[in-house]
Amino acid sequence: MGTGRFDWDEIHRKVQAVGVAIDSGYAPGPEESRRILQRRAAQLAQKVEKEGDAEVIEVVEFLLAHEHYGIGSHYIREVYPLRDYTPLPGVPSFVLGLINVRGRILSVVDLKKFFDLPAKGISDLNKVIIIGNETMEFGILADAILGVRTIAVSAIGPPLPTLTGIREEFVQGVTGERLVILHAARILTDGKIIVHHDI
Amino acid sequence: METRDAEFLQRLLAMFRIEAREHLNVISIELTRLEKGGSRDQAGSIEIMYRETHTLKGAARSVNLVDIVALCQAVESVFSALKNGRMVLSPQAGDLLHHTIDFCFRLVDGKEAPVAAGTVVNDLIRQLHGLTAGSGSAAVAEAGKPVAGESADLPSVELERVAPLHPTPGPDVAEPPDQGAGSGPAAAGAETVRIATAALDALLLQAEEMVAVKIAATQRMTELQELQHQFDAWKKERQRDLSFTIPRTGSGTGQISTEQFIPTFGARLTALVRASEDDHRASASLIDTLLYDMKKTLMLPFSSLFEMFPRLVRDLARTEGKMAEVTIEGGEIKVDRRILQELKDPLIHMVRNCLVHGIESPAEREKKNKPVHGVVRIEVASRNGKIEIAVADDGRGIDLAGVVSAAVKQEMIAADAVAALDDREALQLLFRSGVTTSPLITDLSGRGLGLAIVREKVEKLNGTVTVHAGPEEGTTFRLVVPLSLATYRGVLVRVAEQQFVLPSSNVERVARIRWEEVETVENRETLVIDGRPLALVRLGDVLELKTAVVRQPVDEAFMQVAVVGAAEKRMAFMVDEILGEQEVLVKPLGQQLPQVRNIMGATVFGNGRVVPLLNISDLLKTAMKKAPSFMADPGETPVKSNSVLVVEDSITARMLMKNILEAAGYEVQAVVDGVEAIAALRSGEFDIVVSDVEMPRMDGFDLTAKIRADNKLASLPVVLVTALESREDRERGIDVGASAYIVKSSFDQSNLLEVIGRLI
Repeated sequence: MGTGRFDWDEIHRKVQAVGVAIDSGYAPGPEESRRILQRRAAQLAQKVEKEGDAEVIEVVEFLLAHEHYGIGSHYIREVYPLRDYTPLPGVPSFVLGLINVRGRILSVVDLKKFFDLPAKGISDLNKVIIIGNETMEFGILADAILGVRTIAVSAIGPPLPTLTGIREEFVQGVTGERLVILHAARILTDGKIIVHHDI
Repeated sequence: METRDAEFLQRLLAMFRIEAREHLNVISIELTRLEKGGSRDQAGSIEIMYRETHTLKGAARSVNLVDIVALCQAVESVFSALKNGRMVLSPQAGDLLHHTIDFCFRLVDGKEAPVAAGTVVNDLIRQLHGLTAGSGSAAVAEAGKPVAGESADLPSVELERVAPLHPTPGPDVAEPPDQGAGSGPAAAGAETVRIATAALDALLLQAEEMVAVKIAATQRMTELQELQHQFDAWKKERQRDLSFTIPRTGSGTGQISTEQFIPTFGARLTALVRASEDDHRASASLIDTLLYDMKKTLMLPFSSLFEMFPRLVRDLARTEGKMAEVTIEGGEIKVDRRILQELKDPLIHMVRNCLVHGIESPAEREKKNKPVHGVVRIEVASRNGKIEIAVADDGRGIDLAGVVSAAVKQEMIAADAVAALDDREALQLLFRSGVTTSPLITDLSGRGLGLAIVREKVEKLNGTVTVHAGPEEGTTFRLVVPLSLATYRGVLVRVAEQQFVLPSSNVERVARIRWEEVETVENRETLVIDGRPLALVRLGDVLELKTAVVRQPVDEAFMQVAVVGAAEKRMAFMVDEILGEQEVLVKPLGQQLPQVRNIMGATVFGNGRVVPLLNISDLLKTAMKKAPSFMADPGETPVKSNSVLVVEDSITARMLMKNILEAAGYEVQAVVDGVEAIAALRSGEFDIVVSDVEMPRMDGFDLTAKIRADNKLASLPVVLVTALESREDRERGIDVGASAYIVKSSFDQSNLLEVIGRLI
């Protein structure tokens, strides 16, 4: 059925042209090369212009309890499955414990404690988002990872006015879809998150 | 191009800094040695300094640091004058030279702003020229008479006067350790390479990581061995089964029959176990050797740290108006560079203490018939894989009574506990910060705060510090530190569901103890181990773990304890289980947790599990805070389980309640009615009363009313538990003053426990 619709002559011609091109090692002539390059250059130039218009950030979206959170991928070192962790005695409740990341020991912070979110049982779905800068590194407990998204900075609204204290400091803003964008740089440099207890 | 040049210059400058520090160090050491006089080969010292200065000048010129070049030039001419005998080293000249060297150090380290430095440089150069000009006049004086000869004549007098005064601590004591470090360029042949310490540190860290590989290999081997045991057991079982049934092989199906498979599998498993055992042996010995050699590479002799002390003592003595010198023994002993670094501050503190507080002024010493020159002895010895460092002076010792009264004034110790202190315990008070801040005891001011820091640093290294002193016997500080860091042996223990590692070096012994052996002394649980009474504390309590059962489990006759000690303190920690001892590699807890109470690090086990390593000195301190002791404030409430009086006529209900409460850690006494309850309350102490309402003789309402009417008991919480759910009854309960009213139908244990928890 429908074979009659093929223009066999046209196909033969094209195949032949391709064959010729292959036989000749497909080297486009100088004229053609320039045209192709110009076209590509134009395309590339256009794209840059477009992106310059709207600043975007790439975030990893994850769940804390039932809420959606995002954190800039710039500060994310890796996402690690939470298989096992060791709780520590005598630390504030926001410190979940220690994990072993390929022989390195890393602490994990449960941000739910800062945001007054209900605690959820630890399951196989839990992941640790490892964030860091030059001087600080730790993991953030995520109840589930939803994926990577690109968000226009203009789409991020200010944090809700009802947020106060640490919640206000740690949140960069909220998008229209109620995705809470965390302020990774601030979380990493905030002294409150560092545990330095003297006896 | 320009950036590349700038980069190159930066690299060159970095190289120069390293080189310059070395030259300056050598000059400083030789200068101090020369000043001390009496040493053989003065000309040799001068020659070395002269040469070093010259080299430094050349190096500085190549990186275009004109200030250093100019200073070197001036210093060089002074050394040249010394060399030719045109001048003699006066104390003033020595001071000026030291000052110049210090200034050069600061210039090299970039701690001196170039603009501000300019005037200082000119000033120094002028003064240095003044020295040689003076020597010029001295040279003139050879022909005529001495002019303003203070810089030329006085020193020779002093050198003569000083030399015979300290004949005992001969050069053979102080010299040899310095020699290795200070012998300069001659020692650096083709046999050695200069490597940045950072690169070596990184290598050591990697080598240490290999321990984790070794531990993992051990784990794999053990698992394989277990697998083989299981397989063997199963095979035996199966063979027994098979002997009863006629084996039917599935021949002809083309599949491998079970009877063929089992022996093949067994043989392969055995071979695998063998191979893994061999691998483990081989890798373990390779890794151990690698680590050992690597550590040896990074070890430094103590002399590299001690070379600064003659200078330090000299400076301090001069500012304090005292005469003192330092003798060093064991400087050739090598130790982990990281430990050496951490020891620097504590040692400086202690040497400073010796000079400032220990050694008396020359006049005072003369009065006591002591040599005018005080001596600070630093001795290093290596014993049983540990390093022992003694810092001693021959000064006035420590005024024990003063220390104790300072501690009493600071309310660190109750006045009535003083009598119980022995001298050793009293001396330990010195290491508590605050003892010294008391301005009333000027003799000690400055001493204790420094010593508190000393103790903290040393304990961080997993070491100990003690002090021995008597009136007029001098003071001796003794530090014991491990030879190297990072690899520990640790005792693995379990508390509740969690595992912890105790550093083996702090665990004196582990033991199984009968519960009956626990006795309370002054409200504190104690044990007698090896004839010495020890405080018994529950590790779970100290760590504030949520341990469900704190009392003796019904079916256990024994408890397991680990006796740990740090500094002069010992305690028995009760754990749920002692799991064994093994090698552990200590790692930090990560950047977010720079310091966590009671925990000094963590280690990764062969199975990947992270286990915290406990900090013994923290633990002991925490335990002391929790349990009352002679050190603690007597007003503190002791940690003991709260006691509950249960009043209930039904035997079943009574037993049920007793069990629930005891499981929650309460001390429970049960009585059958209100009359008995009142009697019990009069004779014993209770934190709360839980009572039924309907009882013979005296019911719950009457009991509550009686309690409220009693002066002593009025504030005691009373919980009424009843089947009566009517409003009237509840109101009556409130009327008589019950603290809580729980209806039996809604009565479950969590409810009861919650109410009790709120009321106590």
